[in-house]
Amino acid sequence: MTTPTRATARDVLDTTDSSLLDLVDNLLNRGVVISGEVMLGLAGVDLVYLRVSALLCAADRISDGRP
Amino acid sequence: MSGVYLYALLGANPATSPGVGVSDEPLRTVDLGGLFALVGDVPAALAPSPATLTAQDAVLRRLATGVDAILPARFGTLVADDATLVESLTARRTELTRALAQVSGCEQMTLRVWGEQAAPPADAGVTDAGPGARYLAARRRARQVPEVDTLRRRLGALVKAERVERHDRPPLLATVQHLVPRGESAQYLAEVEAAGAQLAPWRVTVTGPWLPYAFGGAA
Repeated sequence: MTTPTRATARDVLDTTDSSLLDLVDNLLNRGVVISGEVMLGLAGVDLVYLRVSALLCAADRISDGRP
Repeated sequence: MSGVYLYALLGANPATSPGVGVSDEPLRTVDLGGLFALVGDVPAALAPSPATLTAQDAVLRRLATGVDAILPARFGTLVADDATLVESLTARRTELTRALAQVSGCEQMTLRVWGEQAAPPADAGVTDAGPGARYLAARRRARQVPEVDTLRRRLGALVKAERVERHDRPPLLATVQHLVPRGESAQYLAEVEAAGAQLAPWRVTVTGPWLPYAFGGAA
């Protein structure tokens, strides 16, 4: 039986190129994080502490307007 | 909200001018004592979008051709001024210097392992262990990908370092990042392609080469 979550993930996978997925993962989810007083430039965008389990949705969300 | 935008940490000062950043701002380096922060002075941080993420990655790829050791910062890292930046990074200088040494001359390849069900862990039969042993077994499992062990053995000679993250939401079972010497990615891709068909029922996808985003030390 296919759960809605799996179906959604598959839809995104089928329509999203995996390089975009990894671009999102690498730049928003990896990379050196600095401690202290940091103003993250992502106000209003809840992608900062993104986990890969949420990545499929995130890649889909920021895909709007992609050329 | 203007400030100092952190692009990356470098093991050495670039020999030539670092050029401009995503907002066409001139890039400069801040000496942290043995390592350098690559920064730009910006009026505001950019919102994440495919275009801005791609642009930042492109700036760093251009820079990487002139430096051996580069550790990208997380997108959107903006601090008030140089003093704040130095203060934030100085406490982690030892760890960051070690990370820069590790990634020197290397690039990252990213494997994703897909399937409907994960392979049973090697220690699945151990059920009478105490809580400590169970905890350690779980920690060990989080770093294992038995689904693609044959592929990992095959890639072994190319891989300088590895990060493994398991996921609990199929079909994505695990993400594996490998650090490989620059210029070896074509051989890596060929090995993945050759071994990929033998991994059924699991499937792997591979992207790269990337800058070593996943090898910046502990978050």
